Amino acid sequence: MKYFERNTLRFPQKDFDMIKEGVVSLGLVGVLVVGVAAIFGAPYRPAITNQDIANQKPILIMQTALGDLDGQGEMASYGPPYNNGWHGVAQNIQSIGPFSPQTWWGTPYHLNTATDDVLTPLSMLATASNDSALQTALQTYNLASYTQQQAWDNNFSNALNKATVQNGQVVVPPGNYGPVQLMMNDELALARSGLLSGALDRETNNGVYRWNIQNDLLFLQGAALHQYAKTIDMKGEQWGINHDEQAYPGPWWLTPYTFLYQVPPGSTSSSGDEIVAYTVAFLFLLLILVPFIPGLNKLPRALPVHRAIWRDWYKRLEQTNACASCPLSESCKKEFRGHAVTTTANAIPACYDQTSTKPAGGVRTAG
Amino acid sequence: MRTTVTEKLTWDNLLPSEQPIYVSSLVYSFGVFTLSSLVFTILSGVIMAAYGPTWYQYSSAGDFLRSVHFWSVQAFFFFMTMHLVGQFFMGSWREGRALTWVIGALSFGVSVLTAFTGYLSRGDFFSQWNQVQSKDAFNGAGLDGFLNILNNGQVYGLHIAVLPLVLIVLVAWHLIAVRAKGVVPPYQAAHVQQKEGVK
Repeated sequence: MKYFERNTLRFPQKDFDMIKEGVVSLGLVGVLVVGVAAIFGAPYRPAITNQDIANQKPILIMQTALGDLDGQGEMASYGPPYNNGWHGVAQNIQSIGPFSPQTWWGTPYHLNTATDDVLTPLSMLATASNDSALQTALQTYNLASYTQQQAWDNNFSNALNKATVQNGQVVVPPGNYGPVQLMMNDELALARSGLLSGALDRETNNGVYRWNIQNDLLFLQGAALHQYAKTIDMKGEQWGINHDEQAYPGPWWLTPYTFLYQVPPGSTSSSGDEIVAYTVAFLFLLLILVPFIPGLNKLPRALPVHRAIWRDWYKRLEQTNACASCPLSESCKKEFRGHAVTTTANAIPACYDQTSTKPAGGVRTAG
Repeated sequence: MRTTVTEKLTWDNLLPSEQPIYVSSLVYSFGVFTLSSLVFTILSGVIMAAYGPTWYQYSSAGDFLRSVHFWSVQAFFFFMTMHLVGQFFMGSWREGRALTWVIGALSFGVSVLTAFTGYLSRGDFFSQWNQVQSKDAFNGAGLDGFLNILNNGQVYGLHIAVLPLVLIVLVAWHLIAVRAKGVVPPYQAAHVQQKEGVK
């Protein structure tokens, strides 16, 4: 024998039209969102391309490409899931003690910055433009010893710190740069033409269709995007993700998450991302389990907010004098007005019992 | 199972013609406002999906639909947060309603992920920046084995199909759970709760 009881049926009922409620709500929300959309629109700031950076900050493009070539760039030595670091030394592996899930999957999204960001695009450029000087430069670089490559790279890296831009060209003091200077000039030219993005996008998509923009974005992800982001207060320590790029509401619901990046260890640890992610996961678990957490699941009873929400109900109980004959009616009233009262263990009367019309056992179903 | 479904999913439960008289507060409208905002989010999203991801970036009609989508999501999160806070203060997991709360909280989490993949699908600087910023978070958390956050195809697919489907299932389940049990009764005096054995 099974009984179904929607236990709210034990309370007095009032007429309620749920269809009407839904229609009215849809109408109100519809007018609101369509109206606000028509008046205010939505934020949109065009994405930044390699071409933009090449035109505005040509030295920065060279520095980025050189970092990718000599292993000094952040992505060159990032570690999983992109690579195993630069010559085996990874810089960006996050771990809490020995717990490092970042490394569990190997390197599924493989990136070798020297090959992918510099040598392959330049080789494509040399072929496309039938440029034998570039072809020779690439050959010279590839055939040189690692020590020799590093020497050229270091020299050019130092030179870039003193570089100037004249008539759109990056001018460096004379020095022993081997083929690197020509390679960097051509990388800049490729970026300026807009074709560097195409070359990078090609690498992470195995055919005609373009879905995966990994290498294109990872080329820009360092100083190029950070410098720009800083000018519009979008960096992590500026509550980045939490606000939109213009004067619009952003994803404010990420506030607890973003907050953790403003305080240690989120703001200081090299494994800050992992720590913040698992802290948020833990807090979310607490939210899900509120009904089962002793203390937390009783908290709303102790807080007076429910008395405001159900004020009509508690007022009704007083007005109908439901507890007239109850010896504890005064203490019940006090309790619902927000005063602490002591309960007498033995005296448990039907005070403020809300079921003034009580069907016996609810609705019985066959079964 | 058939008996359970027949017992719980009656029209009287799903679309009741009456409510307990304690249902008398603005707090009770946050749920239906959340649902209405979700309807507009889905409708505008479906239209945008039909035209493809470049349309809403480069045409004025697409721009308008993207704005409707944007503000629907803002409304959705506003009302959902108010709903969540309100239900917390009402202790609405009481008397056999814990599962309703759990599903609701899960819906909130899935909504956050759905919105985030949406921000990454906007195709502007905000997408670009959050993509490169969040890669460290997803990688560090160990989700890199499944998710390449820089793969727009995967992110877009998650945003327009996978996550909305999960969300719709959770929301439907949440609604049925709410209707099957009815809205939570007000807190009683401590004496009465003791007497009835309510925890």
